[in-house]
Amino acid sequence: MTDYEAIIGLETHIQLNTQSKIFCACKTDSWYDPPNTNICPVCTGLPGVLPVLNQKAVEKALLLAFAMQAEIRPVSYFDRKNYFYPDLPKGYQITQYDMAIAKGGFIDLPIPDSSGLSTTSYVRHIGITKLHLEEDAGKTKNANDERQIDFNRCGVPLVEMVTGPDLRSADEAAQYLIRLRQLLRWLGVSEADMEKGHLRCDANVSIRPAGTDYLNTKTEIKNVNSIEAVRDAIDKEINRQVRETNAGHRIEAWTLEWDEDHSVLKKMRSKETEADYRYFREPDLLALQIEDAWINEVLSFQPELPLARRQRFINEYHLPEYDADILTNDRGISEYFEAAARSYQGDGKKVSNWIMNEILRILRERNIQENDLFLRPTDLVEIIRMVDKGVINSSTGKALIEKVQETQMKPAEIVKSENLAQVNDESTIQAACEEVLKSNPNEVASYKAGKLTLMGWFVGQVMRKTQGKADPSIVKSLLENLLK
Amino acid sequence: MDLCDYPAYQLAGMVRQREVSANEVLDSALKRISFVDGRSGCIDPGDITPEDKLKIHAFITVTSDLARTQAEAVDRKIAKGEDPGELAGVPVSIKDIFCVRGTHSTAASKILANFTSPYTATSVSRLEEAGALILGKANLDEFTYGSSNESSAFQPSPRNPWNTNHVPGGSSGGSTASVAAGEAALSLGTDTAGSIRQPAAFCGVVGMKPTYGRVSRYGLIAFASSLDCPGPVARTAHDTAMMLKIIAGVDPHDSTAANVPVEDYLLSLEREIKGKRIGLSPDYFRITFPDPISGTFQQQPVPGEMEQAVRHSAEVFGRLGAQIIEDVPMPNTPYGIPAYFVISRVEAASNLHRYDGVKYGYRTPEKTDDLRHMYRRTRAEAFGLQPKLRILMGMYVSAAQYSEQYYTRALKVRSMIRQDFDAIFDPGGKYRLDALLTPTTPTTAFRMDALYGDSVLMQYADQLTVPANHAGVPGISFPIGFDDQGLPIGVQLIGPDFSEGLLLNMVHAFEMETKADPWRQVRPTIIKLPGKQG
Repeated sequence: MTDYEAIIGLETHIQLNTQSKIFCACKTDSWYDPPNTNICPVCTGLPGVLPVLNQKAVEKALLLAFAMQAEIRPVSYFDRKNYFYPDLPKGYQITQYDMAIAKGGFIDLPIPDSSGLSTTSYVRHIGITKLHLEEDAGKTKNANDERQIDFNRCGVPLVEMVTGPDLRSADEAAQYLIRLRQLLRWLGVSEADMEKGHLRCDANVSIRPAGTDYLNTKTEIKNVNSIEAVRDAIDKEINRQVRETNAGHRIEAWTLEWDEDHSVLKKMRSKETEADYRYFREPDLLALQIEDAWINEVLSFQPELPLARRQRFINEYHLPEYDADILTNDRGISEYFEAAARSYQGDGKKVSNWIMNEILRILRERNIQENDLFLRPTDLVEIIRMVDKGVINSSTGKALIEKVQETQMKPAEIVKSENLAQVNDESTIQAACEEVLKSNPNEVASYKAGKLTLMGWFVGQVMRKTQGKADPSIVKSLLENLLK
Repeated sequence: MDLCDYPAYQLAGMVRQREVSANEVLDSALKRISFVDGRSGCIDPGDITPEDKLKIHAFITVTSDLARTQAEAVDRKIAKGEDPGELAGVPVSIKDIFCVRGTHSTAASKILANFTSPYTATSVSRLEEAGALILGKANLDEFTYGSSNESSAFQPSPRNPWNTNHVPGGSSGGSTASVAAGEAALSLGTDTAGSIRQPAAFCGVVGMKPTYGRVSRYGLIAFASSLDCPGPVARTAHDTAMMLKIIAGVDPHDSTAANVPVEDYLLSLEREIKGKRIGLSPDYFRITFPDPISGTFQQQPVPGEMEQAVRHSAEVFGRLGAQIIEDVPMPNTPYGIPAYFVISRVEAASNLHRYDGVKYGYRTPEKTDDLRHMYRRTRAEAFGLQPKLRILMGMYVSAAQYSEQYYTRALKVRSMIRQDFDAIFDPGGKYRLDALLTPTTPTTAFRMDALYGDSVLMQYADQLTVPANHAGVPGISFPIGFDDQGLPIGVQLIGPDFSEGLLLNMVHAFEMETKADPWRQVRPTIIKLPGKQG
């Protein structure tokens, strides 16, 4: 039986998180607002209105284009894409057609192996074939035999970004979306929440015998609202195409819709001949001129990109790929780590452990962001140093992180006011040990009879007696001596 | 002479000096409307009566309540010693292609007959802020698509105040008729291929198409967005200058509005025109049109009286010290109309997409579950012949397989026409012109019913005006006398970008020089009707 490989291209629509819409002053984000509340004559296409381009949308598109290594066109144009639909109030969409703001671009996507430890198994080069600005249309809902239209979304700024047919599996497609989502949030250009439609994805899927280099008829999958669903839908479609091909059937250029509730693909329509949108230059907008000075100003806010930072953390702080991956998942965390690691000037992996185990846990448990932490990177370093020096033990250190967040006091102040400093005085610990052994003769007998696992229990009892302040390693060696 | 016959600048002066109140001016204008206008255009007019044929029907909607409120506001300000604005108490009509908050804004189309605008066009708000009184919405060809006003869905359509058996021209025919007949001192029109200048010539008034982008298009219901220019209609250069100064300028709602300072056109008026170079072009003394059978271009000279009108004006300018430069070549003039046919229809078809029965305006009463059927019925029932023709042609020439052949080519022709102007206005070039002097139209106002339906011939009537729209340069039509039927003749000056000040200066000088000419004392027939005006 023939081996097949899948050929996948992704078409994404990215909602830019500008305050106002792309061509008018209405609020962009309407997620929590009732229908038709963020609208005006311009975005509802009243007679006589004109679009005025939101410069912030251009700046966000520029940031993304640069991050994707695309070439910026110094002069680009907007065009009208003409078609009739009730949620398209002007009867045309203002978009960019043949002279878009950016040209080309790519991302080198590290594809992890199946170990789950983010170890890169290979890198996939994904070309970008389209990256342009456009306005969103409204939303249509069918209810009570009526077609209802919400214009709130009309004029929301979008970047449409399309990959070449460069992805080879559902997992790669999912990786692309994970990395794209990470990048969009990192750059601060989009909230990139697929459930809220900030990031929308259509997938073009075809298969071909492994080792060949032609493209077969593709199908298009629409309406997928999560990365998991994209992976699932593509997998199912690849399997269907393999089954059909093996059964001697031809793949037809269908448009498929993902049914979220039943995790199945449904045929929306056969793709007829390509629609003619009668594109022409939007006469209501001037050419978009992007001068070098503007680019430089915009790029002065361009941070190091996540994949580059991930690699640098591996090289510079000798982190395992797994750590580097997690620490660069979020830009704020990566900056937190780096600030701590720089201030600590020691083993980066130790700082990484503290952040991955303790800081991320707090963020998760409290559902807060890194910049909501009262404990700043230098405070964390202070705690790590106190542990290093034996001033406190590591469990006190961990508890201290919580206490700093709760009391908003500095770690050293808490250690002092709560008398948390480790008890290093051996005679005090010796006395506690002796007391524990004396009051637990049965356990001592069992231990001496060979139940050595009781050592942990004895240590625990001593720690409790010393309010956790004794150094557990000293406790253990003293107990061992006493029990000889 | 009634108050409403005074020039706008005098009216504003008298109001500001408390010689008359804004309310009195308004009374005079409304009285004139009631004498000369007849019934306003409507979408179910019944038969046109012999009485209708004696009126000018300049308006679709007379907004007397709005104007009254504005007049009272002006008078209150004056009473309180506040500045009432430069156009205080001046009655103005607005071509009903502009959105004015709270008024029916119809574009003279059934599809917008029930549309009340929730916002006001920038140019109109500027007039309002300057103290003008918005008298009403003037009739026009449906969506501005025509040169006679007969294509309006609102009938009776406007008639020429000099002879009501003739058209007022178009598409700003209601505007120019209202100004000629003394109903309004000023009117706001639009010019996409000559739609201000041609009806101004037909009605014996001054009409200016400013430089593209000089006046904001925000609130102007679009025909061909890359060609549309709002502009003033008035009885004199002085009034034109005063109005342009108010409406011109940059607008945060229109990114194609030019960020070029607006000069004080009133100050430019009194300058000498001695030494100015005014050109005459043989390409503007003939009309070129394709033979419908062979497709080859035919040429026909403009009627002798039109060429004579231009030569006569040239003599006047000569007397004023201007240099007249003959034989200026404008070789791409004949291609203006074909290129315009393509470009304007592509833009128009797209601009008309929004009238789909979904959000506002007309929707077919037929109940249907089929969205496409609703679109088709709505548009079939509510668009008139002209929008339909333009949609068909616009769709055709912008289709993927024809776009290169028509649209892209037309854009190239457009830039060649621009080059013709660049060459003659180039200060270092051979001609170094300050302005080109041409006939505005090949003929004077034609008879009602004479051409309507023959849209090609009507469009060729724009041949002398459309090049300025392609090139984006300003043009002004001004009256220079009458033909042997007593119909006004207009001639046109075209200048380089943002030369409105100089063009107004030249027309003003011409008006002063010909002030005493007998033809200037003649008043429109409509005002002279016996027993109609006290």
